[in-house]
Amino acid sequence: MTPLDLLVAVVQQVVDGVFLGLFYAIVASGLALIFGVMDIINFAHGDLIMISAYFTWLLSMNLNLDPLLSMLLTLPILFLIGLGIQKGLINPVLGKEPLIQIAVTVGLGFVLQNIALGYFKAEPKGYPAPLFSGGFNLGPFVIYESKLVSAMVSLAVLILLSRFLAKTKLGLAMRAVTDDRASAMLMGINVGRVYLLTFAIGMVLIGVAAGLWMEMGQVTPYLGTSFSLVSWVAVALAGLGSIQGLIISAIIIGVAQSLGSLISPSIQMAVVYLIFFFILWFKPRGLFARR
Amino acid sequence: MSGARAILRVDGVSKRFGGVVALDNVSLEVEDGGIYGLIGPNGSGKTTLFNCITGVYKPDKGRVFFDGRDITGLQPHVIARLGVARTWQKVRPFRNIKVIDAVIAGGLLKTSSISEAGKIAEETLELVGVAREEWGKLGSEISLMEHKLVDLARAIATKPRLLLLDEIAAGLRPHEQERLAEVIRRVWRERGLTIIVVEHVMKFVMSLSRKIFVLHEGRLIAEGTPEEIASNPKVIEAYLGIKPA
Amino acid sequence: MELFNREILLALAIFEILVLGLGFALSGNSYLMLLAAQVLLFAVFVATWNIIGGLTGQLDLASSAYMALGGITTSLLWMRLGVPPLLGVFAGGAVAMGLAVLIGLPTFRFGVKEVWYALMTASLVVILNNLFRYTMGPWDFYLPSKWGLIYLRPRTYFELFLIIDVVLVIVILVNVYISNSKIGYYLRSIREDELASESIGIDTRSYKLRALAIYSFITGAAGFLQIVIYSSFSYRLFDTSLAISIAIMGIIGGLGSISGSIASAVIFRTLGEYLRSSLGGVFPGLDLLLYGIMLIIVGVLKPEGLAGLFNQVRRWLGK
Repeated sequence: MTPLDLLVAVVQQVVDGVFLGLFYAIVASGLALIFGVMDIINFAHGDLIMISAYFTWLLSMNLNLDPLLSMLLTLPILFLIGLGIQKGLINPVLGKEPLIQIAVTVGLGFVLQNIALGYFKAEPKGYPAPLFSGGFNLGPFVIYESKLVSAMVSLAVLILLSRFLAKTKLGLAMRAVTDDRASAMLMGINVGRVYLLTFAIGMVLIGVAAGLWMEMGQVTPYLGTSFSLVSWVAVALAGLGSIQGLIISAIIIGVAQSLGSLISPSIQMAVVYLIFFFILWFKPRGLFARR
Repeated sequence: MSGARAILRVDGVSKRFGGVVALDNVSLEVEDGGIYGLIGPNGSGKTTLFNCITGVYKPDKGRVFFDGRDITGLQPHVIARLGVARTWQKVRPFRNIKVIDAVIAGGLLKTSSISEAGKIAEETLELVGVAREEWGKLGSEISLMEHKLVDLARAIATKPRLLLLDEIAAGLRPHEQERLAEVIRRVWRERGLTIIVVEHVMKFVMSLSRKIFVLHEGRLIAEGTPEEIASNPKVIEAYLGIKPA
Repeated sequence: MELFNREILLALAIFEILVLGLGFALSGNSYLMLLAAQVLLFAVFVATWNIIGGLTGQLDLASSAYMALGGITTSLLWMRLGVPPLLGVFAGGAVAMGLAVLIGLPTFRFGVKEVWYALMTASLVVILNNLFRYTMGPWDFYLPSKWGLIYLRPRTYFELFLIIDVVLVIVILVNVYISNSKIGYYLRSIREDELASESIGIDTRSYKLRALAIYSFITGAAGFLQIVIYSSFSYRLFDTSLAISIAIMGIIGGLGSISGSIASAVIFRTLGEYLRSSLGGVFPGLDLLLYGIMLIIVGVLKPEGLAGLFNQVRRWLGK
């Protein structure tokens, strides 16, 4: 392999990594929102994306729709489901010890994974003819339509989210609760309602991520674990400050993972894990208890 | 009182969180053997100061000296081992362990024998006035008042020289507060500790302390006897909006 | 309270009689005997997890990683260097312990939220799974056809059952010893409230690491027995669902309760086996689904678990 070939391969991976990173940003956004506002550790985040992906797949197969379109159909339903999960599962454990909180969400994730395993079995499921399935050349590089589209959609949604948090009343309330719950209550914000809506909006973001994933590839019951890992690493790297920070961290992760795949496809997730390990050692500020 | 050495010296301590200045160049000295008060309106930095003293936070500037020794920025458990104990503002519930076991954990600081620690625990629980029947109960089964007493017992079981009480009267009814004040006085008499009480409730602090420090917006604005503080115009101004009982 | 008082020894004796009785009863049926050995080994892992999870309150989701790492180390030492497993298990335990402590060192620092430990350990299993698959290939590696106590590979399942029983008794005694000594009091205090624990002079990081070291060493050493039950190993031994299941049993049993851990492990693993064998073709993962549902129910409604239930019944009977 000539040095030029190597350079091309590396730049290709960087480009793919940026697309992947933008996608990861939307994957992580639901978690960042829920964790930031409610201070609850949702271990089932990745598995919720996995189940939403199956949901999108079912709609696509039965209605013969492109995943991006069936994704739009899932969003309102996921919003309602989010309200339900928050009321039924999350609220009861809000006051309890962190170990129990995490454990209940671990249980939820485990249940979702095994329902998917039992019902859909382990073979990957994908939509055979998505709208954006091709690619085109840009000089020596290959740009995959699905990756490009999902990166663009992610970016658009994240910009929308950022506007929402900065400009709308609910968004400001959510940020107030993230910063200081006690003061938010004193200011008259109905924290219970903020929690409910936060989780529901989080589910919508999860639905978007799921739909984009189905446009790009296939779903298996074990997808959840990698999505959870990526999301938590992104949150750890970025802290809970801003959407921009989350996007940057997610892109770093995406690029690192893609470059890792040059060494070997199986090393990819290990690279992400190593990033996480190094964050723990050297920059644990995002990981310390708030205040 | 003269000739007593300063058991605690806070020297120019400052601490900020992001853009918020929690403590601004606070300096104070506490002499060995008395009960002292640290008061101030909400958000004046009292708990932050406690946290800087006990190692939970590291001050951005300044030093903390315990018994002449620089303890700035040491780990909390190291500071505890040196003889500084504290109770917490948010009562730390030990829901799933028994009262006696929680206090034994405190006693184990000075001895490795469970039976020794058990004796220390029993003595301390008796000192603070927790009834024997309560000792076997789990944390989830006792009342708020009892929790505070057990918290106190647990801190005392570590045989400290300096005891910091962070808003220990919070949430208690007036008669419970009186009982707690009595307990604190008794503990002070029998163990010869130095105690610093952080409080919101003026009456509680005034009745106990020999000398009071007043914080406001992270700065020390006054120090003196309860009478001096009560008539200090700066203090009254800082407290507008809070009723002195 | 003495370290090993009469009540505990009596309970242990009764338990042993039941276990041995079961063993003798099943020794004719090799399928059931192997199943009993597997269930008992599962109980060993859950009872060991109790040290890090139940006593210290850390949600460790990597037991299958330590099990696999230790077991594979032991196996490779045997297969490549001829080291008999009876000795090799100590090396296996040490390797597992080394990795565990490496992860614990940064994660157990004062102030780092507990979720990061759960996350690090859960991901560890996935990463090692991928790593082993990449380096060792997707094949199954079979243990050499040599039998004997020195290889920890007895000729009959009944003897394997006995070996596992011995390990279980050791784990129970270790649990009791820790529970009733200074380290136990400190670990429970850490579980309930780290901040308060630091304030009474407990070096929380040091004690968490101690609990982690003990737990990971035993899990790593006992991991070889799991390989003996399978007669082989592969990358699939790094199994996330197994690690989560072990943690679930520890929580359902009641944090810190040895009897609760063992009871929930035996009951649910047996139930799970039944579900797997009867409906596994139709609905794979049904047993795991059951564990997950139980965890949610226990977490939301009765966090004290089976042990809490025992205590309530005992108090109700006492009236």
